[in-house]
Amino acid sequence: MEHGPAIIQILLIIAAAPLFGGLITKIKNIVRLRRGAPVLQPYWNFFKLLGKSDEVISQHASWLFKAAPYVVISSSAAALLLVPLFGGFAAAGGMGDIVAVLFILALGRFFMALAGMDAASAFGGMGSSREMFISSLAETAALVSFFALALNSGSTSFAAIAGDGVFRASSFTAGFALFLVAIAETSRIPVDNQETHLELTMVHEAMALEYSGRSLAIIEYASHIRQLVWFSLIAGIIFPLPPPSGCGAALAAASAAVFALKLLALAVIMAFTEISLAKMRLFRVADLLMFAFVAALASAVLAAGGY
Amino acid sequence: MKIEDILKELSTREGITPVSMDWNAPEEVHLEVRPEDFKKTCLFAHQKTGAPVSALFAEDAVAAQNRFFIRCVFASRLESKWLIVSAGLPCDAPEFDSLANDIFSAALFEREIGEMFGIKRREAFDSRRLRLHPEVWPEGFYPLRKDFKPPEKYGDTGKNYAFRRVEGDGVFEVPVGPVHAGIIAPGHFRFSAAGEPVVNLEIQLGFTHKGVEKLFEGKTAEAALAFSELVDGEAAFAHSLAFADAVEKIRGIKVPEAHQCARAILLEIERLYNHAADVGGMATDVGFSFPAACASVIKENLLALNEKLTGSRYLKNFNRIGGVLKFPPSVWETIDSGLEAAEKDFLALKEMLYGSVSFMDRVEETGILPHKTAVELGVSGPAARASGVAADLRADFSPLYKSAGFKPAKQEKGDVLARLNVRVSEFKESVRLIKKLTGMIKTGSDVKISAGEPRSGCALGYAEGWRGPVLYWVRIGQNALVERCKITDPSFNNWEGLAQAVPGNIIPDFPLCNKSFNLSYPGNDL
Repeated sequence: MEHGPAIIQILLIIAAAPLFGGLITKIKNIVRLRRGAPVLQPYWNFFKLLGKSDEVISQHASWLFKAAPYVVISSSAAALLLVPLFGGFAAAGGMGDIVAVLFILALGRFFMALAGMDAASAFGGMGSSREMFISSLAETAALVSFFALALNSGSTSFAAIAGDGVFRASSFTAGFALFLVAIAETSRIPVDNQETHLELTMVHEAMALEYSGRSLAIIEYASHIRQLVWFSLIAGIIFPLPPPSGCGAALAAASAAVFALKLLALAVIMAFTEISLAKMRLFRVADLLMFAFVAALASAVLAAGGY
Repeated sequence: MKIEDILKELSTREGITPVSMDWNAPEEVHLEVRPEDFKKTCLFAHQKTGAPVSALFAEDAVAAQNRFFIRCVFASRLESKWLIVSAGLPCDAPEFDSLANDIFSAALFEREIGEMFGIKRREAFDSRRLRLHPEVWPEGFYPLRKDFKPPEKYGDTGKNYAFRRVEGDGVFEVPVGPVHAGIIAPGHFRFSAAGEPVVNLEIQLGFTHKGVEKLFEGKTAEAALAFSELVDGEAAFAHSLAFADAVEKIRGIKVPEAHQCARAILLEIERLYNHAADVGGMATDVGFSFPAACASVIKENLLALNEKLTGSRYLKNFNRIGGVLKFPPSVWETIDSGLEAAEKDFLALKEMLYGSVSFMDRVEETGILPHKTAVELGVSGPAARASGVAADLRADFSPLYKSAGFKPAKQEKGDVLARLNVRVSEFKESVRLIKKLTGMIKTGSDVKISAGEPRSGCALGYAEGWRGPVLYWVRIGQNALVERCKITDPSFNNWEGLAQAVPGNIIPDFPLCNKSFNLSYPGNDL
């Protein structure tokens, strides 16, 4: 039963994933003087969609269209297994490292982009093409930040990185670069807009536009998990706290609370970022991600210098 | 050139002798020519006034005179007069020479005449229907003819609307609508795109064609006035004002100055709430949600002010033939405090938008409508003023606005920012005007209005609504009922302006371009 706590941790966090998105929406709505949807709304949406029996699938869609949601959610969940959350170590232990997370997420994205084109709707194709354009830039920035972190701890394993517990300028810069990447990866303003109904401007949503019912529920849930992967990563990097030594229920609860606080802080930062910016013109996104890349590079230089 | 001179030169230079010519009202001259002279006369009037076709429409006079009439309206801004060129066409095979090859602003009107009256245009470059989609509407049914009987069977005609096609490597079509994801009216947008940049955009509208002009027929002027407020809910007051203006001209009523002021105040308040909503809409469409929320607060406060003033949030049922109803007591304080709040909030909104780098980057250089295109298409209202066309009925035709020192907004660049700038400066100017007009009205005494006696005749009514000029050409018959009512909403020609402003931009910028025009579906579909 040595993996027991880790598995509980993972299940808990998967169950809590939609809460993070609901929280950001709630904060945004409060600032905009709106009552808005309840924080739990993503759950209600999920169960509503899950309960639908009349899923509409285009006649032109192939098996890929039906399989993609499962690949997408599996890849998100698998990536989560590799990320250390609040119990110190990642659920899958030393099976994968920081680079593996990136590529596991890329697998999900690859299938999502294929599925977007599969039904041959113009929107899906546009969404896939935009997603690939953005992610090709975002991945580079993410990768360089990861290497900067690896330089700090001397290993690409998460355990080493997160277990460091020392605040470094390079970690902070890498965390900042990853925050910009996370904006792109979680389709938030200024890169994408989750709240819009304008099909022509969508990136991530455009790929999922052909989906309905259970498949849509799965895809949306996968997005929530993916979002949490990114923000847990960043939380671990920019608020480095030494991992708990020893074990016990009280300690676990305390570290869970600390983890939740870190995420809450990130949710507030994310919400205010979204509120205070207009969405960028599509081709300007390259500038933003180039900036993220430069920040990542800077953090690598800092890390090499030992800061 | 002055209209008198135009008429003189028409016979001396062009050798066209009018069938008849009369001043229908001090500012409205009717010129009837023979059908074969129609095109030449319109071209001449177009050149000499320098104005696009303000309206071009037909009238079924088969019962009385065994003819169809076509009428073409030009505005002479120089001397604040309307020139209406008409021709009577034989009722058995009505046709006329197409104007659209020489005056593009006539193109859409001609297509409308073709489908509504079955009047043919010789040498027309676009013979497609406009609103009665070939997919569902069978051939040979012309709704605006008096002897029209609806087809027994709709739909499944087996025909398709012929879109302009762009072909080539990597060019693909993106069909959007008619059903959209938001709560908006239906319209079909056919993009041809090469990657993200749009090569061509064609807009198909008319999905909510309701036969509004037909529904006007047979109503009393009073009933029709109430009906005109339903044509376009966001511009209810402008439409009602334009219709009332036509009837007042027919009846020969002089509206007392106090009532003209009151009407101008309400027209400006309508502009205020819509401009505020538009500015917020532009922020929404680039995902800038905080200013958008602020704009909706301004709009809501102004709607509440409307309700306090007139009992209706959308200024309905307050305008009457001859004037307006009585304002509630302490109206001036209400207006003052309402305006003060709106002005303050709008200033804050403006600073937020213009101070945001991310927002300004989106609106600058986006969706440029060049001056020449705007002129040729006959684009009007704020969209035209943003492209350097300073036409504004308030400045050109209204002595009241002139005496209030009204200055129309004007921008040169024609991009989304220019259209935003026009709205912002019109908002400011409207606030100033309302203050000035309330000052003028306060000193005047309380005047009773008279709705006059029902009379037959025809006249052109107009008002500069917030989207641009709203024109109503109304004919009242011997039985005092409306015989024909032609509505020209600014959106009718402006939609084509949007279609021309988008190519060259990338697809995700379309919603922003669209919002910067913010055109009306009901005003176009009718």
